[in-house]
Amino acid sequence: MSGNAIFVPASKAPEIRANRPTEVLILLGFLAMLVGIAAVLSPAFLSASNLRDILVQAAPLCLVAMGQAFVIMVRGLDLSVGSLMATVAVLATAFDASSNLMIPVIFAACLAFAAVVGLASGLLVTERNVSPFLATLAMMIVLQGTRFAYTQGSPSGRLPDGFRVLGTGQFIGIPINVIVVVVAAVFLGLLLHRSAVGRRIVTVGGSVRAARLVGIRHKRVILLAYVISSLMSGLGGLFLVGYVGVVDNWVGRGFELDSIVAAIIGGVALSGGVGTVAGALLGALVLVVIFNIVVILGLPVEFQLIIKGFVIVFAAAIHIRRTSAR
Amino acid sequence: MSAERIMRPLSVDPTKLVVSGLLLMVCVIGAAFNERFATWTNLTNVIEQSAALGFVALGQTLVVVAGGIDLSIGALVSALSVMIGFAGQAYPEWMVAIILGTVAAGAAVGAVNAAAVILLGVHPLIVTLGTATILNGLTLIVTRQPAGSVPEWVEGFAYGRVLGFPVAGLLMFGCFVLAGFWLTQYPSGRRLPAVGGSPEAARLSGLPVRKTLVVAYALSGVGAALAAIYFVARTGTGDPLVGEPLTLASITPVVVGGTILGGGRGSVLGTLLGVFLLATLNNLLNYLGVSTFLQWVVQGLIIITAVSLHVERRRDA
Repeated sequence: MSGNAIFVPASKAPEIRANRPTEVLILLGFLAMLVGIAAVLSPAFLSASNLRDILVQAAPLCLVAMGQAFVIMVRGLDLSVGSLMATVAVLATAFDASSNLMIPVIFAACLAFAAVVGLASGLLVTERNVSPFLATLAMMIVLQGTRFAYTQGSPSGRLPDGFRVLGTGQFIGIPINVIVVVVAAVFLGLLLHRSAVGRRIVTVGGSVRAARLVGIRHKRVILLAYVISSLMSGLGGLFLVGYVGVVDNWVGRGFELDSIVAAIIGGVALSGGVGTVAGALLGALVLVVIFNIVVILGLPVEFQLIIKGFVIVFAAAIHIRRTSAR
Repeated sequence: MSAERIMRPLSVDPTKLVVSGLLLMVCVIGAAFNERFATWTNLTNVIEQSAALGFVALGQTLVVVAGGIDLSIGALVSALSVMIGFAGQAYPEWMVAIILGTVAAGAAVGAVNAAAVILLGVHPLIVTLGTATILNGLTLIVTRQPAGSVPEWVEGFAYGRVLGFPVAGLLMFGCFVLAGFWLTQYPSGRRLPAVGGSPEAARLSGLPVRKTLVVAYALSGVGAALAAIYFVARTGTGDPLVGEPLTLASITPVVVGGTILGGGRGSVLGTLLGVFLLATLNNLLNYLGVSTFLQWVVQGLIIITAVSLHVERRRDA
């Protein structure tokens, strides 16, 4: 019996996978519809500068959601992403560097730290059979406590100016963090859908037992998923800091929920084995556009929460219908 | 009723022994390092302060045993506390009805959760996360600051003493005893682990799976309502953020007490021990002057340790 299968009775796992391209097309249609609604509500929405702002704003969530998708694919869940984003941000300020030459060093250190965190969560899941929910929950709390104990409540430390450029700057007219998202999406997409590793992830997510029987070292595959998620959170945290411009102890708060919602809107099934990188990416964009519509309508920000709540439940319900109807 | 049956809720297993041992250790360390720790006043304080956590952890236990999870608890506590605050301010003379209404509202939200899980076929984690998000949004639209007030006598629910024993603590004990007997002695309660262990097998053997789930989630809602009443009684006002930490906090004592996420197995007594362990540990760390930040680290480490120990045992069994 596998600790990862927790919550989802094996009999409920979808037997047949949804048709991936159709799924992505439907999402694209939905996104186009939302953009259409937004454009009708406020013509300024479709201006090039506003669309660019939305992409820039969505970039960190896109990164984290794609990583989250990998963990969900192997029947996991990563609740530590938000806490990790903030911890990485605090770690970046710990260098107290002002020279842009330090940026690669900071990135390397932060991503290495993130990878270790992912490895730790993954090991708890694979070696100790801890349910992913609890393993990453505990990780979230430990990271939060460590971060606060280190900063004593408020981070000090500087970041090189180059961070701001990474978060808000442009390269040949395209925002830098959007380029990063595209590169990451292409890389992760190839990894998941076009490589042997990706097929193993899908197999392990579909059935750990089957994967073991065909000789897949399932523990390594699961570990890899957690490391990917943590790396993407680390990356997301660094770019979010660059975008926001300040480091505080709560950078990335709410990203655990938003990234899960994005992945689910994108058709990644909690029962494992089903999902696409493009779906998670589009899911994140859908979420951000919805948030923008709430702002355009002049509704209180809290409406975002209400809409998010309905969207998460119904997106999951719709995907379940689609996968079980075949 | 045979003696064996009566003792069933108290059945001893290694998990409970380990948790009791840890609890004892914390108490001994506390008594050794601080003379104010092992006093009646401090003991009753710890029990009184653990009441809210006890109520929600008990509800969470029932849902988890039935194979689900309830992430809407914290948001529900906040929403209900605001509701009590406003209603109590507008109709102070109807306070008793308001309290009963709060319990009913909590049960109703739980039933809605169960209905969504059953009818939509969506994972309980997602459903209750959705409910939580919606409730949070609604609550914060109503008020962003603590608001409303209740008649003074309501305070008795939090600070009152009966024969020197805190009222809230007594009520919590009462709920735990009732739930413990219900879960182990009565057919309607014993269905919970059956449904949680395998809904399919439970359905095939003719158990009312849907009804059982509705009852479990509704009781979790009742737990949240009691916690909300406790908080309002303590502070005298409704606070839209008061419940936020409770969602995840409610899960810790459940898993520390040996209830397994995924359903089918669990113990109310284990959860009670878990609540006490966490409450006394926090109390001790406060006495020792350990910062809240490091207390978080300790809490995280406890979850990791507890869960990996239980799992190891389950594998051996």
